[in-house]
Parts: sequence; structure tokens; C-alpha cells
Amino acid sequence: MISNTGPAYSSPQRSAFDRYNPLRWIGELSETRYWMYLLLLPSALLICAVVIYPTLYGMQMSFHEMRINRPGLGNGWVGLKHYQRMVTDPVFWVSLRNTAVWVTSAIALEFLIGLVAALALNRNLPGSKVLAVLILLPYFLPNVVAGHMWALMLDPRLGVINDLLVKVGLLQGYKAWFADPTTAMAAAIVVEAWHSFPFFTLLLLAGLKGIPTDLYKAADIDGAGALSQLRLITLPMLKTIIAAAVILRVIGLVNSPDLLLILTSGGPGRSTQVLSLYAFQTAYKDFNFGYAGALSVVMFVLLMVFAWAYVRLSKVNED
Amino acid sequence: MAATRSRSKLVWDIVSYIVLIGLAFICIAPIVWTFLTSLKVESDIVTRTMHYIPPSITFENYVKLWNQSSYPTLVINSLIVTSTTVLICLLTGTVAAYAFSRFQFKGRTQLMLGYLVVRMFPAVLMIIPLFIVMRQVGLLDSTFGLAVAYTSFLLPLFVWMLKGFFDAAPKELESAARIDGTTRLGAMFMVVIPIARNGLLATCVFVAIAAWNEYLFALMLTTSTGSRTWPVGLQLMVGEFQLPWGMLAAGGMISILPVIVLFALVQRAMVAGLTGGAVKG
Repeated sequence: MISNTGPAYSSPQRSAFDRYNPLRWIGELSETRYWMYLLLLPSALLICAVVIYPTLYGMQMSFHEMRINRPGLGNGWVGLKHYQRMVTDPVFWVSLRNTAVWVTSAIALEFLIGLVAALALNRNLPGSKVLAVLILLPYFLPNVVAGHMWALMLDPRLGVINDLLVKVGLLQGYKAWFADPTTAMAAAIVVEAWHSFPFFTLLLLAGLKGIPTDLYKAADIDGAGALSQLRLITLPMLKTIIAAAVILRVIGLVNSPDLLLILTSGGPGRSTQVLSLYAFQTAYKDFNFGYAGALSVVMFVLLMVFAWAYVRLSKVNED
Repeated sequence: MAATRSRSKLVWDIVSYIVLIGLAFICIAPIVWTFLTSLKVESDIVTRTMHYIPPSITFENYVKLWNQSSYPTLVINSLIVTSTTVLICLLTGTVAAYAFSRFQFKGRTQLMLGYLVVRMFPAVLMIIPLFIVMRQVGLLDSTFGLAVAYTSFLLPLFVWMLKGFFDAAPKELESAARIDGTTRLGAMFMVVIPIARNGLLATCVFVAIAAWNEYLFALMLTTSTGSRTWPVGLQLMVGEFQLPWGMLAAGGMISILPVIVLFALVQRAMVAGLTGGAVKG
């Protein structure tokens, strides 16, 4: 191989040691046309092994009976059984509705707070670097700890937020936020927004830095106020970034049941049951891998359709 | 005109400060409250009158958590899983990011897009087959198996982030080294990677934080104390042993301390790396 594609510069007086020196050998390999493919090979193989193969396996699983705790049922092909069951499964429909509420409210809140924070940080006031670090910090904290911090603060007996709200007069008495079906989802959305709004701040701030300042100077001369500048310059210029950030966040939020699993496990009742959580519990608690696979496949397809439609719509608006 | 403009600038400056300080307070308050709780005696936590400042400070919660629970083992397991994940990403991802950054070849765009799209795959859909496969090959309930599973979502991220840093490294030095007769291999390891070392460090820290924090894969793929990571262990202690609030708060503080320190150290490069790709594409 080396002799065929060997480098042009290789010196004729190679010692025996050089010939068997692995570094030299790889160095010569790096001059061939296939070098970039060799560089990509390890990561591509790994991704095939831990992402592509499991995903295909999971899709295939959704057409089979697969209950780890009941091996007697076998692993036979059951066709669309799991998908048919979904149609008549009330929990599926509740989860679907909750997912829509959870994702849209959380992202709307995260986007709003993220945008306000990014606009304020972009003024580069003295001290804003330190404030930026503090504001970005929640995004890097683990879900498990974020969940328990808020569970502690919202606790019905010793929660500091309850105490403050009662002292201010907004609440009559302490409230069990996560035990009441009418407030559990809202409380979880607040925790999620606290945890992930910095993601929007991060991306929007980077986008704001890319807007030419001339645009604002021109608008100043034309007498446009701050709010119309935001509406007519800032938001249109940020459109691509906003679209990218929303898509990434939707994917992240739909796919990961972590925070709800920690805060409520879907309860009380089914009030915070989302699709990813339902799929996970079907697998983890009931060991019904076939049905869990089918639920994830449906979730994945819905996500793909959403992403595709969203990209199309934001492109249409641009034209 | 100029006067009103400077006055309106002042008004917006003040509004910005109020917004930023308010938000920073909201971001930090839960952490501070957890820290204060971790220093309280349990009877001061579970009480009818709220103590905003601990009446007496104690480190008992930390001592008890460290000595009487499996927390040290959990932390060590997490450290092993985290460093293994970073190592796998470094070994396989650095060269891939370099290839994407420096070479034009057939299928480059599609492959890069592929590395982005795999992050859309639902974790749940992957976890179940990973559970089955890892059980077959004997990697279930092992720190190495968990680290391999983590690369499923962290390796694509690592490659994308690091590619941005490689793109930013000037190509002239590399060309000079090539003219001097260095091989591509030599140029990569002796010129490009050293230039991008801050970016490489930031990328590693980002992946390390994500691996350290991960909960769902760890919950599904580990079953015993031998390989269980701290998020799963902490959650189990809450569920099974009704972990007292003080100890839970102490556990939370111990676990986020490394995250806060690492984030504070490399946040500038990390923020640049996270936003770089989004701005360009």
C-alpha cells in the first residue's frame, strides 16, 4: 500500500528502523488520498454502533413483541399491533397533548427571557461579563440537582417560595405545587425555563453581535424608537438564529424526559405525563420494549415532520 | 435631539441593569438557597418558621453524606465514566473534526449533516436497544459501557464544536510546516492542535459537564453500586431512604461544585464554541 501511494518526497536512504516505525508509517499514510476518510472512520464507526444501529434496532423492535419480564410471549413479529394499540390508548393522547403544552409554553417562556437577557447583555455595560456568567450558569447544571433545588423551594411544608408568596400576600397558605394537577405542569415549566433559558441567551447574544451597528445608526437618524428598532431590525436579523435555536430546543425538550421524571414522574394522575416520559416508563417500569419502541418511533416521526414544516415555513416567510 | 437620545440611552442602561441583576439573582438564588440549606441542622430546615439565615452552621450534612452513604463510590464512578467519555471523544472526535475542517472531499456536507441529525434521534429509542446489546456483550452495568453510550450524543457535539475551533485556527502556519516537509499527520499534531488547544480544552470541558450531569442513560444502563453514577444514586437515595433535605442539599452542592469551577474557568472559550456554529450556519 505504501509503495503504491507513497509520498513523493520519501528519501531513498531509509533505515530499517524507519521502515517499521509506526509513526513514520502513519505519516506516509497521511499523504495519501484516503487520509480524511481514515480520520473520519473511528468516529463514524462509533456513531454507527451507538446511534444508527440502536435506532434501527428500536424501529424494528416496535413491530415485535418484546417484553423482557415476560419471555414466555416470545419475540415474534406482531406487525402494527403496537401502533394500533396507541390509537386507542388514552394515555398516549394525554401524553401527546401534554407534550404540546410542555414544549410550547416552556420554549415561549425561555425565548422571551432569553431574548430580554441577550438584549440587555448586548449593551456591554460595565460588569455585564460577570452577570453573563451568572445568567448562563443554570444551563450547565444537572437536571437532577436543578429539580431538587426547586422541589425544595416549592415544598408544601418548608418551601421558601411559598413562604415569600404568603408574606407578600399572594397566597393564603402554603401550596403543594407539584401535587396539584392544575399547577404541577406550570411549576415544572417554570423550573424548565429557569434551567434552559440561557441556551436562548447564548445563541441570541451571538446573533446580536453579528448585526451591523450601522443599521441602528441609520434608524436613529430616521427617529425610530427602541421598540420599533427591535421589531424592524433586531428580530428580522435574528430570524435564522431564532429558527435554529427553537428547533434545537424543541428536539431537546421532546426527547428528554429527565426533568419531569425527577420532578413529578408524570403525576399527579397523568397531568405532567409527556410522550418521552411515557415511552421511558413503558420500557423501564413495564419492560414492554416493543410498545416503548413504537411510542418513540411515533415521537421521532412527529419531531421530523415538525422540524421539516418549521424550516419550510420560516423559509417561506423569508421570500 | 442629542439630549433626548442620550437620556433615552441612560434610561435603557438602567433598565438593562435592573433586568440583568434581577435575572442573575433568579439564576443564583436556588443555588444559594440549596447551599444555605446544606449548612442547616435538619430541625432548622423542617420547621414552622422559615430561617432565611441558618441559626447555626453545621457541616454535619456533608460529613454524614460522605461517610454513611455510597456517595464517594458514586462520585468516583462518575469521574471514571466522565473521563472515559472525554477520552473516547478525544481519540475519535479530534481527528474527525480536523478532517471536516481542513479537507474538501466527496460526501463532506452530507456526513457533517449526518453528525448533526443523529442528535435528533430520541434517547429513549436508542436506550432500549443499547440496553439489549450491552447486555449481550457484557457491557451492561459497567462504567465503560455507559461511557460508550454517552458518546452517542456527545461525540457529534464534540466534533461540531471542535471543528469550529479548528476553522478559526490560521492555516498559514500549517502551510509553512507542510512546505518544510512535515507530513499531514505531523502538521495536525504539531501545529493545528496546539494552536487550537484552548478550544480543545473548552470542548472537552463541555463534554465532561454533559457526561457528569447525565441521568437517563445512567438510570437505564447501570444497575448496581459498582457502576452507578451520582445522579442516579442521589435520586435513588431520595426515593428509597427518604434522604433528609440537608443531606440532599449537601449532595447537590458537592456534585455541582466541579461544574461551577470548570464553567467559570473556561466559560469564554466554551461560549464562543457553542455559539460559533449557530452563527455561521
